[in-house]
Amino acid sequence: MTQQPTAAPSPAPAAPQPTSAAKPGRLAIPDLISIGIFTALYFVCVCVATLVSTLIAGAGTIFLPAVAALICGPVFMLSVARVGKFGGITVMGVVIGLFLFVSGHFALSFVASIVFPLAGDLIARIGNYKNRVTILIGYVVFCYGLTGPILPLWFMKDAYVASLEARGKSADYINTLFSQISVGSFFVAMAAILVCGLIGGWFGQRILKKHFVKAGIA
Amino acid sequence: MTNPSSASSARADSRAGSRSTSQRGTHSGVRLDPRAKLYLLLLANLLLFFHVDTRGEAIMVALFLLPLFVAGRWRNGLRLAVLYFALLGLGLWSDAATMSGSGGSGGSLIGMIGGGVTDTAAGSSGTTVAAEDVAATAASATDAFVTAGHVAGLLSVGIRMMMPCLITGAYAFTTTSISEFVCAMRRMRVPEAIVIPCMVVIRFFPTIVHDYRQIRNAMALRGIAAGRFALVRHPVQSLEFIIVPLLMNATFVSRDLSVAALTKGLGIAGEHTCMTVIRMCWFDWAYMAVCTAPLALAIGGVL
Repeated sequence: MTQQPTAAPSPAPAAPQPTSAAKPGRLAIPDLISIGIFTALYFVCVCVATLVSTLIAGAGTIFLPAVAALICGPVFMLSVARVGKFGGITVMGVVIGLFLFVSGHFALSFVASIVFPLAGDLIARIGNYKNRVTILIGYVVFCYGLTGPILPLWFMKDAYVASLEARGKSADYINTLFSQISVGSFFVAMAAILVCGLIGGWFGQRILKKHFVKAGIA
Repeated sequence: MTNPSSASSARADSRAGSRSTSQRGTHSGVRLDPRAKLYLLLLANLLLFFHVDTRGEAIMVALFLLPLFVAGRWRNGLRLAVLYFALLGLGLWSDAATMSGSGGSGGSLIGMIGGGVTDTAAGSSGTTVAAEDVAATAASATDAFVTAGHVAGLLSVGIRMMMPCLITGAYAFTTTSISEFVCAMRRMRVPEAIVIPCMVVIRFFPTIVHDYRQIRNAMALRGIAAGRFALVRHPVQSLEFIIVPLLMNATFVSRDLSVAALTKGLGIAGEHTCMTVIRMCWFDWAYMAVCTAPLALAIGGVL
């Protein structure tokens, strides 16, 4: 964190300006710090969502992204309003993915948490981070970034089917057992994310208007 | 989270010259380098990806648990070990029951769920065999039981498959200080746009907990959501009343942190250095090799 003056004397006179005064469209240090703080709040919301979705049912983890989408709206909306530059949403998703990976989730969750936030960022950029509709759509897409942690459920299914096959069960039997569970639950979970993302995003925008715009923060 | 004694001892080590990593963190035993921890995490993910058989998985889990004990996290390690071996025992027992019976795994699982009501289990396992004979076309009432039994089995297998990742994750999380983490990330050439938010996230977690307590106190003072289940009864209201002050505070903290960080020179261009010194020593390499070998053998099908 500390910069030692003896280590690099040459670039100091070349670029003495802090990057905050640099280009208006790029992420500066204060933006990164804001993103970090909103990411921390977002991560706490994800933890709450994990708790809630496991309490709903034993296999309720597949609704983790949906529950998270429901409660993370205000955090996302305020972060977009505060940062309002390209890259903010992406960095948020990447950092969340990194923390999920370090806390022992599947590496694929990292891919999902890069791709979907980047797409959401691009969509929100169309409206220049001001248009409410594009931000809302961006939020819904961003919410799909959390599907990473639940993807192992489908991998686990493969493993279980493999173990059943090894025990000599017929393929028909396995198919009838799992065709309903896997495909049906997958689409239900994905649709739930869409609906909950819309509701959560709308709630977030309402909260933003009610509390933060009035206070001059957003 | 950072404790000054270990940081200063690490600095002393670096000044003293080539000391091994085992001298670092004197109070909590030997710890691996952060990058070695990351490598263990990757290995655990590979284990999940390649459906390794039970024996290889058990060996890998034992290898992953070892650093937790060496680092002095006895309670954490014991809890994870007991959980894993309970799940393993459950799986092995159900396998054995399936082998002895005539393919009635649904029956044995139902017996497990029903707490060993033998006559029910026997009856349903008989019907299970019958249902298999007609290729599971007849949707009888026992099919629901069989499905429930398989879902239980699926859950136990699934949780056991997640265990290596959870163990390595717990190890990485509980034994790495912020400065080590940041130093490792910078050494791996992670861009500053990722490093700074990560640093802020770790630093901000205790503040969130503190703020949450204060908000709950303030709510109780005004008689809002004072009871035990009052938060659950009005979920939208509780969400609004808790998250709005948290966000308000977050904006102020972000402004203060920005000022502090810019004053300390975080915004200056050029390479940043770290006080904490991390170094890969022979122990890290050796442990990485030791963990890689059984995984490679198991994937190759030798083990």
